Amino acid sequence: MKILVCMKQVPQKDAPLKLNENGSWIREDVSYEVNEPDAYALEEALRQKEKHGGEVVAITAGPARASQVLREALAKGADRAIHLEDPAFVTLDALNTARAVAAAVKGESFDLVFTGLQSDDYGFAQTGVILAELLGWPHATIIMHIEKNDAGIRVKRELEAGFFQFVQMPLPAVLTIQSGINKLRYATLIGIKQAKNKPLRKVTMAEVQAALGPNLQVLEKLYIPQKTKKTEKLEGPASEVAKKIVEKLRNQARVL
Amino acid sequence: MEADVVIVGGGPAGLACALRLSQLIDGHNNSNPSAPLSKENIYVLEKAREIGQHCLSGALLDPRSMRELLPGFEKEAPLDAEVTAEAVYFLTEKSRFKLPIVPPPLRDHGNYVISLNRFAKWLGAKVEEAGITVFTGFAGAELLFEDDSVVGVRTDDKGVDKAGQPKGNFEPGYDLHAKITILAEGPRGSLTKQLISRFQLDRDRNPQTYGVGIKELWELPPGRIAPGQVIYTMGWPLTSKEYGGAWIYGSRDNVISLGFVTGLDYPDPRLDPQHVLQNFKQHPFMRRLLEGGRMIRYGAKSLPYGGWWSIPPVSGNGWMIIGDSAGFLNSQRLKGIHLAIKSGMLAAETAFEALRAGDFSAAKLGLYARDVDASWIRQELWPVRNFHQGFEHGFWSGILHAGLQQLTGGRGLHARYASHSGHRRLLRLAALDGCADPRNDGWAKGDGKLTFDKLTDLYHSGTRHEEDQPAHLVIHDTAICSNRCTQEYGNPCQYFCPASVYEMVDSPGAPGVKQIHLNPSNCVHCKTCDIMDPYEIITWVPPEGGGGPNYDGM
Repeated sequence: MKILVCMKQVPQKDAPLKLNENGSWIREDVSYEVNEPDAYALEEALRQKEKHGGEVVAITAGPARASQVLREALAKGADRAIHLEDPAFVTLDALNTARAVAAAVKGESFDLVFTGLQSDDYGFAQTGVILAELLGWPHATIIMHIEKNDAGIRVKRELEAGFFQFVQMPLPAVLTIQSGINKLRYATLIGIKQAKNKPLRKVTMAEVQAALGPNLQVLEKLYIPQKTKKTEKLEGPASEVAKKIVEKLRNQARVL
Repeated sequence: MEADVVIVGGGPAGLACALRLSQLIDGHNNSNPSAPLSKENIYVLEKAREIGQHCLSGALLDPRSMRELLPGFEKEAPLDAEVTAEAVYFLTEKSRFKLPIVPPPLRDHGNYVISLNRFAKWLGAKVEEAGITVFTGFAGAELLFEDDSVVGVRTDDKGVDKAGQPKGNFEPGYDLHAKITILAEGPRGSLTKQLISRFQLDRDRNPQTYGVGIKELWELPPGRIAPGQVIYTMGWPLTSKEYGGAWIYGSRDNVISLGFVTGLDYPDPRLDPQHVLQNFKQHPFMRRLLEGGRMIRYGAKSLPYGGWWSIPPVSGNGWMIIGDSAGFLNSQRLKGIHLAIKSGMLAAETAFEALRAGDFSAAKLGLYARDVDASWIRQELWPVRNFHQGFEHGFWSGILHAGLQQLTGGRGLHARYASHSGHRRLLRLAALDGCADPRNDGWAKGDGKLTFDKLTDLYHSGTRHEEDQPAHLVIHDTAICSNRCTQEYGNPCQYFCPASVYEMVDSPGAPGVKQIHLNPSNCVHCKTCDIMDPYEIITWVPPEGGGGPNYDGM
């Protein structure tokens, strides 16, 4: 199986974020890491390859720093990587990102494309789905298990309230992977060393520009929510105060 | 895995060492194309997930060694400001007195305010560009010995659960067999400690003494402190019984670095260095300075104070020690980064000669020790060899000794002032006369604006560890904690740890008895516990690689 894994570099979850000057995005001076569900997507791709043979290719879009996620992927066992390298890729909406990815892998024939369920920063959960549409392939989201069979693959989707759905689908297909589908491996010293000699293809914005259109979705302004706190003191006999508290919890806080 | 050189630690010392070695090999290969040396098997191990994430310092950079390593580095390095003004204050609880002149060691014109985190990231990128492999997320867990030689390093096991059992993704540590192992672990390195104990390298040396620096980064309204403005304070909230003081460095973008170093040789076991910093900020002077500002980052790190007489032999069969691990820090100038870099460069030069000669014996690597002696490292550290020890009997006699030493080329009253391990100076509770020191009233509560409790501060250190792993704070006998220590010292670990790793909780089995509870995930890798625990029963070992604080911008 030949599998493409779309990976994104995102600010670390607990990084102290500051807005940039025009409030359109955050300042860049934070630490970045692999988007969590993308790490699980990579792991799943490596496991499928170990079972069925084939090739794992990691792709990312972003500035030079984003190559770190590709190096991690190569160190863990991906065979090669593709970097859509330009700071401007960060500002693309989901549709254009999917277009750029599709353009960058044009001519390759993958059996599967994995993406993480959604990114930890924008959280659109759209890029994978739109990519399937652009490729003309079926897709399934929130994947918790993948089993290859003669007719294609059988996947387990996570629904709400503890329900699961099993879907039989043909290949090629796009799957968006849920965190926790597997247990992540560690990069090994040998792997990190070998990663240096694995192919990493860079794709410039100019090479995919023709496939892109105007952003249909634009982040106009980010702001930090104002924290407000209101303290109210309820007075009176305990039984009345208790009633008032229940009423407030039910009608104001709406937690009951 | 076979290696030529393994450098343990990707801080300023280790990175400078790697870069210098690469430069020498490049030079050699250019002039000897027929017999090139390879950089393929030179490795840097770094326990942080990324280079620089565990690097914490004030920091002021004396550019001397960087100019030697990379002439013209100022043009490209992330330097926040050149020092333009210094002031030293002596504080009492309500007032401050400005020293009429800035003592010469604290004159910092020509130095740079930097974020050591950003600086290390930049230097690390240079090392990687030069073709040297940096393994981030890998700690040196054990030294590999053969007879009287160090023959490499074992990295940490990954994927071990709390009970010590391998998990599904278990990866055993690697044995990196190295011709030369260079320890650049920073203060109180865990491999350095193994090495010192195995070869008794502390024989005939003064015990190393330490301080712990607690740092906060603040964003202030514009105009409070200029970039490059430097302020030091002495005195309050410490008393003359304790050693330490504060720094305030103006950086760019209205950010200041603010911190308090407390000498880890204080007598009162209830003293809490994080609390000291919180008290310090309540001084009227600091209150005014910080009013309307916002704390953005927090961290803590120990630093070696002991000076020249505490530096162990720095090389032997197959090994060298550089930077803070060796104790190359000028405690009078409060600076060590430039010495760390210089010692790394000198070690690289020796490693290069050894690689060329194929000789990794103590005799060959002894060149490094001789080079240190012949270099400006010794010129700088020799005159202050007795400085810190002069303060063993308090602030005022320390000032007197420092003055005498200044007049006698560093000698003072004795050729070699002795020193004592800081933890031995802790007094038992009974010896405190029951006098409650109002400063030591337990953990800082914090008002959430100017002052913070430990957990709030800790949150700003970005600390993260894999939760399901064995505790990396190894207490060899926890019965001592509940029995002797509670009685004798009142469990100072609760106070000296700046990250709330140590807690005394009710023992479920025995009512009224407290027992130790560890929160290893909180650990900011400052090593204070390993240094200050009065019974020497705590050993800090590296947790699973990749865990620890994230000192972005610190």
